[in-house]
Amino acid sequence: MDNYNQVLSVLILLTSFMLMANKRIKSYIGTFRLQSALIALTAGIMGIRAAMAEGSIDVLVVSIIIIALKVIYIPNLLHKTFSGVEYKVEKDFFLNIPLLILICCGLVVFSYFSVSRVAGGSDGIMNAEVVNSISLVLIGLFFMISRRKAIGQIVGFLVIENGIFITAMFSTNGMPFIVDIGVFIDIITAVLIMGIIVFKINEKFDSIDINKLKNLRG
Amino acid sequence: MVIPAVGTLLGVSIILFVSAAAAALVFSHWQKLCNTASNILCMAASVSGIWAAIRHLLAGGEKVVILSVGITVPIISFDLAFDRLSAFFVLGLCILVFCVSIYSIGYVSHFYGKRNVGLFQLLFSTFILSMFFVLTSSNAVFFYIAWEVMALLSYFLVVFESEHSEKQKAGMVYIIMTHIGTAFLMIAFMMMYSYTKSFDLYGDSSAIPQPARNVMFILFLIGFGVKAGVIPLHIWLPYAHPAAPGNVSALMSGIMIKTAVYGLLRFVLVYLGVENTWWGMTLLVLGMISAVLGVAYAFVEVNIKKLLAYSSIENIGIIFIGLGIAFIAFSKGNRTIGALALCASLFHTFNHTLFKGGLFLGAGSIQHATHTLDMEKLGGLIKKMPVTAVFMLGGSLAISSVVPFNGFASEWLTLQSLFGMIGKGQAVLNIAAIVAVAALAIAGALAAASFVKLFGISFLGLGRSEHSEHAKEVSPVMYTGMGILIIPCLVLGIFPSLFLKLTDGLVTELAGQSVTGNLGGPLLLARYEAAPGGNSISPLQVAAVLLILFLLALTVIRLVGGRYLERRYGTWDCGFEALNSRMQYTATGFSKPIQIVFRILFRPSRELKVGGDHQYHPKSMEYTVSTEPIFEKYIYAPVVKMVTDLSRRMKFAVQTGSVHRYLIYIFVAVLALMLYNRIA
Amino acid sequence: MNSLTYNILQLTVMILVAPLINGIIRKVKAFTQKRKGAPLLQMYFDLFKLIKKNTVVSETSSWIFKAAPYVVITTALGAGLMVPSVTLVAPSGFMGDIILLVYLLALGRFFMMLAGLDTGSTFGGMGSSREAMISALMEPSILITLFTAGLAAGTTSIGGIMTKVKEMPAPLTQPVFIMFFLATLIIIIAETSRIPVDDPSTHLELTMVHEAMILEYSGRHLAMMELGASVKQLVFITLLVNICLPLDQLITISGIGAIVLSLLLYLVKVSAAAVLIAIIEVNTVKFRFFSVPNLAALSFILAFIGFLEYFVLWR
Repeated sequence: MDNYNQVLSVLILLTSFMLMANKRIKSYIGTFRLQSALIALTAGIMGIRAAMAEGSIDVLVVSIIIIALKVIYIPNLLHKTFSGVEYKVEKDFFLNIPLLILICCGLVVFSYFSVSRVAGGSDGIMNAEVVNSISLVLIGLFFMISRRKAIGQIVGFLVIENGIFITAMFSTNGMPFIVDIGVFIDIITAVLIMGIIVFKINEKFDSIDINKLKNLRG
Repeated sequence: MVIPAVGTLLGVSIILFVSAAAAALVFSHWQKLCNTASNILCMAASVSGIWAAIRHLLAGGEKVVILSVGITVPIISFDLAFDRLSAFFVLGLCILVFCVSIYSIGYVSHFYGKRNVGLFQLLFSTFILSMFFVLTSSNAVFFYIAWEVMALLSYFLVVFESEHSEKQKAGMVYIIMTHIGTAFLMIAFMMMYSYTKSFDLYGDSSAIPQPARNVMFILFLIGFGVKAGVIPLHIWLPYAHPAAPGNVSALMSGIMIKTAVYGLLRFVLVYLGVENTWWGMTLLVLGMISAVLGVAYAFVEVNIKKLLAYSSIENIGIIFIGLGIAFIAFSKGNRTIGALALCASLFHTFNHTLFKGGLFLGAGSIQHATHTLDMEKLGGLIKKMPVTAVFMLGGSLAISSVVPFNGFASEWLTLQSLFGMIGKGQAVLNIAAIVAVAALAIAGALAAASFVKLFGISFLGLGRSEHSEHAKEVSPVMYTGMGILIIPCLVLGIFPSLFLKLTDGLVTELAGQSVTGNLGGPLLLARYEAAPGGNSISPLQVAAVLLILFLLALTVIRLVGGRYLERRYGTWDCGFEALNSRMQYTATGFSKPIQIVFRILFRPSRELKVGGDHQYHPKSMEYTVSTEPIFEKYIYAPVVKMVTDLSRRMKFAVQTGSVHRYLIYIFVAVLALMLYNRIA
Repeated sequence: MNSLTYNILQLTVMILVAPLINGIIRKVKAFTQKRKGAPLLQMYFDLFKLIKKNTVVSETSSWIFKAAPYVVITTALGAGLMVPSVTLVAPSGFMGDIILLVYLLALGRFFMMLAGLDTGSTFGGMGSSREAMISALMEPSILITLFTAGLAAGTTSIGGIMTKVKEMPAPLTQPVFIMFFLATLIIIIAETSRIPVDDPSTHLELTMVHEAMILEYSGRHLAMMELGASVKQLVFITLLVNICLPLDQLITISGIGAIVLSLLLYLVKVSAAAVLIAIIEVNTVKFRFFSVPNLAALSFILAFIGFLEYFVLWR
């Protein structure tokens, strides 16, 4: 069972496809929770390995932080923010869902082609996990584009962050601890700020459709 | 008994075709005699052609020169030669011509007294002859002339019933498109001559440098692509094929578009030789696009012949997918897969000739019997035209490539060659191959759906109009001609090795490797270098097992359930007791879900007009749906507009009407030529 | 085992187990709804009763209507013969091939759609039309899914694939087979008219697809249609369990005992799959018809990603 990394990275990628196919705000958050849990699992396995091999518990700690932060705290926070805002099925995507999913599939292929050109790509360093995680970043960004409501942008942002995190983890087996902590603090701040802004947008426009922000132009 | 040589047989065939044309002229005052005599001569000619082709495919190998007439003009010569590649396509041509001629004896009868039968038969037989010359000429200039004549004659046949303005438009689109294609071919032939100083098709192309080869490939691809109707060069096909009379559209769809496949094989594979992978990749991608879009457009069509025409685009797509894989494999030096894919695409070419020819003849029969091709006006024809219905069903099953039919055998080979193509460490190719698998799958499913629609709406259920109520079975000659094309579909599906054996020599010649190898019995086999065992299925075994299971089901049901007792009763009408034909699903309704799902492709628009004072008390209702032809709107319309604008501007700038101006043009041209002569 | 005996065994297993799967699914659904539900063997009783009944045939219909049930049952059983249930004893030179399987089932579907149109009823046409759409959307993922499994095993023969996976260490730990599993699950749901796509237990105009096509059938014809559908369902389930969960290599004994053991293992596997399907069915609501493409796209992507992971991204 030495290919668990690839299996987990595929499953993580899969959650991003699920996210793309989701239509409800609640399911966005649920899927994000699932994705983070899988990432925490990956980090946990890596951490246990590292702890057994070198005795360092950095990655393990990171994994626990992910559980606390991305599996529990941020999703709950989002729930709380959006329970007051709106409960609607999002239906105005600029393309229909099958097409969005097919484009995501194209993104995976694209990230393969771009990564395979990176130096060292051909001599075995480039691997499936990295491609999957870079696709995750791209899909996160695409998700932000495809959704109109502000929640889409927040979840997309978090997915991008997830993608960056696992890319780093798969390519280096864990970044320096201090970097990870820095990133986590960053995203908490970002999510908090975004939550407040969403609240304000809703207050101002009675909706969180970000297209309404166009009205702010003079 | 002296067995005549292949050359003699072909000579006889040509003479008989010529005499068919002559008979049409001579007897043009006696319509019935003219029709019968001319068609029987065509049949005789094609029998001779079939004989020659089969003999040459099985035994021959060497090129046979049928005729060689040097003309004083040095580069042009009237050369006809016959090798295995020609033989294969001539076989398809002659089989189709044989059946179409039988059919025509009955079909042309509705021209009696209305149209000039002599003229029609003259055009018909010379059209066949021109295709014959295209397939056998060994000189590029002569090929070009035959190609042009073929295009012109088919144009005349398309506009034969030209009192409808839409048929004139169809003819116009056709003649313009085909001429654009021919122009590309002409440039390619000129390039060919400028490098090799010869127009010989069997000549040596090694003098052509690499960049020129690439350019020539593109020229050939566009030139032949137009004739093949490959998307995005297809726009003429769905207009021209339906506009022609039934027997002519069978010829056009059955074999004329295949001359493009012949051209690609002859000029690209045999003459130039495939060296670049991107050639094959281009074909593969074009094939995928044509297969999926072609059948998607077919599915939403309500006119039987248009549906069949779009389905031809799909099948050309499948053939191109096979060719693409073959070209990729050849450029990579993988002979095994190349041979397999080539064989698959040749097989599909032949199959398509059979079933599409048959189906177009069937469509002609429907038109003959009901005077309409609009599915919304048909229905219940299976009771009126039982024999035609059986053959139509057979053709539909074959073209949907369901199991014991030939369409399946060729699709199996194509999929197997894709299967063999995929291997680790070649990313682009793998992705292209798996996408091609998906394309074939969706094309297959949509093709089945299209033909369920064609058969189900027009033959089953209740008649939807007067047209179908008064239909009568067509004359035996007509359904015989159709049947002779459809029955081999089943035979070849169960015994595909018959075909593989027949073309073994050809595939070996082109690919340098035989696919049949140690093929035993009715086994269909795909072998790979990586897995020498390969994959095999036995269509005969499958057919036998299905038959046994069928009998088993019959017996068990009989034993358990006792005697079959049936009560005929009206269809469940939800208690209305007034079920009528207007309550049936229509052809438009049938394809509506797909139209909605693929709305990006079809851009459907609908309009509901309610007549009367109030929308809740309608006096009349009018509902129109239309789809937007995206290729015409977004590719062709801008080009046409540009050309028209340019010509209009030219009219005032260049074409002034002043004689002096024209003389200046001539003067400048002469000076420029002399200057060029000095420099070059 | 010689191939005739094997085929008879296979056919018997297919015919006898197929209705049982429906029974299990219904039973599990009933349990989750706090009902007792019909007996596990209800479908057998239904089939017997139907076969014995007289048939009513629509006046509008032609011979296609009467031929279709035979074609459907024949192709379903033919497909059943291709998918070895007891892989331990399947002879090597078996006729099963993934491409053949797909196009054989297409024959059955072709006739079923025709039969829907033959009666001239609106329901039949509606069912056929919807079936055409679902099949067109699902076909690419079916073929790619099976192709990927075939490529991973190096053969298109179904028996060959099942033999090959037995040599692999736990297929379900490999991305390609995980994707195969998930994609096949979606395919089973769509192809066998299960809930998010179609509802086998209602006759409501708005929702029915498969039931609409066979609405006019009665008596023995209906029995054949029903049995055909359930055999087709078993075919896909067998593909799923025998490729993803090959357990036969664990059997160490030989002789008749091994066959019985293998058969029992097979029964356990398919029952587990049936329970899984039932749980999915209970926990989802039926999709709007035009949401089905989402599901199809998802299964296509699953198959495609599985392929990518194995053939493009593999180290």
